Amino acid sequence: MSKHDSTTDDSTTAGPTPETTGKTGAIDINDLTKIYDPEGEHVVAVQDMDLSVGAEEFVALLGPSGCGKSTVLECIAGYLDPTDGEVLVDGNRVSKPDPKRGVVFQENRLFPWKTIKENVEFGPRMHDSIEEGRAESILDEMGLDGFEEAYPSGLSGGMQQRAELARLLANDPDIMLMDEPFSALDALTKEIMQKKLLEVWERDNRTVLFITHDVEEAILLADRVVVMTARPGQVKDVIDVDIERPRDPEVVTTDRFTELRERALSVIREEAERALEQEDGA
Amino acid sequence: MSASTIDQIQRRFEGDTVPLPGKRVRQVLSIVLFFVLWAALVRFGILGFDKFVGPETTLVALVESLAGAPMTEGGETLYEHAAFSAYRVVVAVLIAMGIAIPLGLTIGTSRRWEDALFPALEVFRPVPPVAWVPIALLLMPTFRSGVIFVVFIGAFFPILVNTIEGVKTVEEEYVQAAASLGAESRDIFRHVIIPATLPSIITGVSLGVGLAWITVVAAEMIAGGVGIGYIIFQAYRLLQTEVVAVGMIAIGVLGYASAAAVHRTGHYLTRWEETE
Repeated sequence: MSKHDSTTDDSTTAGPTPETTGKTGAIDINDLTKIYDPEGEHVVAVQDMDLSVGAEEFVALLGPSGCGKSTVLECIAGYLDPTDGEVLVDGNRVSKPDPKRGVVFQENRLFPWKTIKENVEFGPRMHDSIEEGRAESILDEMGLDGFEEAYPSGLSGGMQQRAELARLLANDPDIMLMDEPFSALDALTKEIMQKKLLEVWERDNRTVLFITHDVEEAILLADRVVVMTARPGQVKDVIDVDIERPRDPEVVTTDRFTELRERALSVIREEAERALEQEDGA
Repeated sequence: MSASTIDQIQRRFEGDTVPLPGKRVRQVLSIVLFFVLWAALVRFGILGFDKFVGPETTLVALVESLAGAPMTEGGETLYEHAAFSAYRVVVAVLIAMGIAIPLGLTIGTSRRWEDALFPALEVFRPVPPVAWVPIALLLMPTFRSGVIFVVFIGAFFPILVNTIEGVKTVEEEYVQAAASLGAESRDIFRHVIIPATLPSIITGVSLGVGLAWITVVAAEMIAGGVGIGYIIFQAYRLLQTEVVAVGMIAIGVLGYASAAAVHRTGHYLTRWEETE
């Protein structure tokens, strides 16, 4: 059904490497544990988590807030060091941020002191590969032509998010790590952004790990939806989304979509109830 | 009462029927009021002001000074004194910026440098700049460089402290974003740390310039030889109170002009910041 054929792998052996698949951007999370310990306040954000994301696969990470989704993403990005376990990308252990792994967050992290064009050209500039006109064409694709010389503060939230996506694409990463990138946008802008993202992904062959708490968004976008447990975060269930691509936002009305949504919701509901009980017990 | 009546009343108060003076008029009014108050204090000898000069005499002296008359017997003109004070402030602030900004960036980014340098600097920080005058006189017997040194001390600490504070409050998110785009630590310093710290540096410089004017007047009173602070104190000794007043006005104008210049430059350099 799709070009992505990797499945979750419960063993801790190294995942597929570019040598075996010819594709780059495979993520392997092995026994990942992250414990925050500020002033003796022992918080286990993620515990013994295993997850494999195939090269060029689109995986959505779904779960209740505070379940450690963002922690997982920050470990993959190289912002956080795991307390235990490891994250492998194409077989190499992640130890620091890398331009091959681009990151987009809910709140935009455009550099406010640089113009939109300077922001988009920042990545290429870091490895001396600025191509004349490339920033303009990416901005054009994102519907931001005419805003090259504007500063981020002069743009609306939706435009800032598009500019951030443009900055990421200009850097041509193998992996796009996206942490609730559209959740602060209004419904219409969100739909446009989702469409844009699907377009770009279907064309460019990148791995996407997309964090969201929106079930419909997860199913609409992803090949697989990984549902996480409440803290400490672990993989609770993996749902294969066997809806044909290219998809557009109308698929939400199909029966198959409804089925998948119900299944995801029931897992989440179960998890939310368990989390509540946990809190009552504590 | 209906909403429209309330509207009408409001309009009558805000609008044409009761004309409130415009912004410019109010500003002029505030200055006029100040002169009236000053004249009254002198006329009626309130708070011992009868020993001081009134605005009318001062105005005459000011016009004469602006026309180029020497401030005291055979001395320099107002312009020369002002130029000396301004020169000291500008040179001292530039040296302070040249040292405090790089030092602040270093201390702010490196724990090791902070431990090595900051405690010593913290000991000197509470010492008022004017307390450095005796040392300045001992080490630099020519008055001019001595005053510059003292003014430098005055401008140095606000710039240093604000730069350090600025670096420490740079949001980690921007550093992470830059790293994820392939920036090395040198790039991060140049493209993230420095621009993100700029607003704090500008705050530090404008505080530094303000303190520099305070310090220059105080230092010149003690050891100036020339300059507005010197002439104010010299005129006091000669009981030329109108010259004292002219000197004070000159300092006010220069301080205001330099604050405005710093503000404008700062505003231009951080034009990317959100307005409103």
